[in-house]
Amino acid sequence: MKKTYSAGILLLAVALLAGIVLIQERSSELKRYETTFFDSFDTVTVITGYAESQEAFEKQAGQLQEKLRYYHELFDIYHSYDGINNVKTINDAAGKEDVKVNQELINMLKLGVDMYQKTDGKINIAYGSVLSLWHEYREQGLEEPEHAQLPPENLRNERGQHTDISRLVINEKDSTVFLEDGEMSLDVGSIGKGYAVQRLAEYAKEAGMEHLLLSVGGNVCAVGSKPDGTPWQVGIENPDLESDKSYVGILELSGKSVVTSGDYQRFYVVDGKRYCHIIDPDTGMPPEHFPLVSVLAEDSGLADAWSTALFNMEFQEGLALVESMPGLEALWILEDGGIRCSGGFGFHEEK
Amino acid sequence: MKKNDVILIVVILALALASFGGIYLYSAGNTEDGEAVVYLDGVEQGRYPLSQELSLEIPAENGNYNLLEIKDGKADITEASCPDKICVNHRPVKHLGESLVCLPNRVVVEIENSGEAELDAATR
Repeated sequence: MKKTYSAGILLLAVALLAGIVLIQERSSELKRYETTFFDSFDTVTVITGYAESQEAFEKQAGQLQEKLRYYHELFDIYHSYDGINNVKTINDAAGKEDVKVNQELINMLKLGVDMYQKTDGKINIAYGSVLSLWHEYREQGLEEPEHAQLPPENLRNERGQHTDISRLVINEKDSTVFLEDGEMSLDVGSIGKGYAVQRLAEYAKEAGMEHLLLSVGGNVCAVGSKPDGTPWQVGIENPDLESDKSYVGILELSGKSVVTSGDYQRFYVVDGKRYCHIIDPDTGMPPEHFPLVSVLAEDSGLADAWSTALFNMEFQEGLALVESMPGLEALWILEDGGIRCSGGFGFHEEK
Repeated sequence: MKKNDVILIVVILALALASFGGIYLYSAGNTEDGEAVVYLDGVEQGRYPLSQELSLEIPAENGNYNLLEIKDGKADITEASCPDKICVNHRPVKHLGESLVCLPNRVVVEIENSGEAELDAATR
């Protein structure tokens, strides 16, 4: 009798140990890989994923890198590329002629027009003439900080005359785009990257990549969750660079996108004052409402557009808008460091 | 069942639980053995433990550079040839998954170790 018990107990112990080993083995079947590249949207892209081998992961990541590069070229306003009509081609033909473009470019421009209406003009893809003026002065100011200057008001106002989005003519039937005002130009910086990331996520899903995290310059999109079913942990960076706290909080992300707009990374300094790279189309100046807003949405393109639009609005106005839009959530960090969020923006605050 | 059998069962269960917990804690990783991993254009250049003080010039293309300093368990870029200085303005990093990025020089310094990252990405 005693022997049977002992044998039973031994069996139990072996089974338990085997169970533990099996659990460990199973979770290590898929290994975590990461790749970083710099060739798109003037920023750093990190792709994190799980695959059975380095080779399998690199094949997937390579396809995504190539796709991202394609969108980068399509939405580029500074360079032309062989065999493709991009946003620069449209700008170069402003006031002169129609430009034949592909459906992807038309879809992105339509998103821009749609978002102009939804945000009451707080993002405007036809704002290129003013943005390029600021770009010029910012680059100059970073090059020679002691001579940094703001674009003069008369120049800003003059450029501001050529930003009427209704003069962007999209002809879907003939697949052409035309800018009626020869002085106007497109700048899709507020939506192009988000649109591209969303298309990448859709492609990844179709190709059977189920557990993937894309970060294109802090524009983060989760395809599914991690393989064990837990969400991806995404830190929201603290805009207060003097603080020891790296993150204000952690957001759990599964199958959604988060995009942040802030004034603390890309800026230049004129007479001791910071001027960030986002320009409010209503004032022609960088907004100074708060240091950071993060937007959570299923669609990365929408999250990108809204983060810029909300950055251009007072907190209260933005909050009211977000609360009225289903599927859209946001978090603001105010000047005094206070954190505000819309009802459904769940995150763990870092204490 | 004898008293000894009960004790044996309890001991085995405790051992199993302890080993499971140990494996879990181990795989969760800790920052103490974290390393600052330097990447140039996405390619790993070197790994430096956070536990040792270090001052290292990271050479980038065309004579550009970033100065990496490790002190008090944190990695920091204290000097760089880039025009925007975003990497220099960034606070020192120490948590797994945190990174310093210099776009113009294509340099990334990321905190890693063999365990699972605390953070998978950051939005900025």
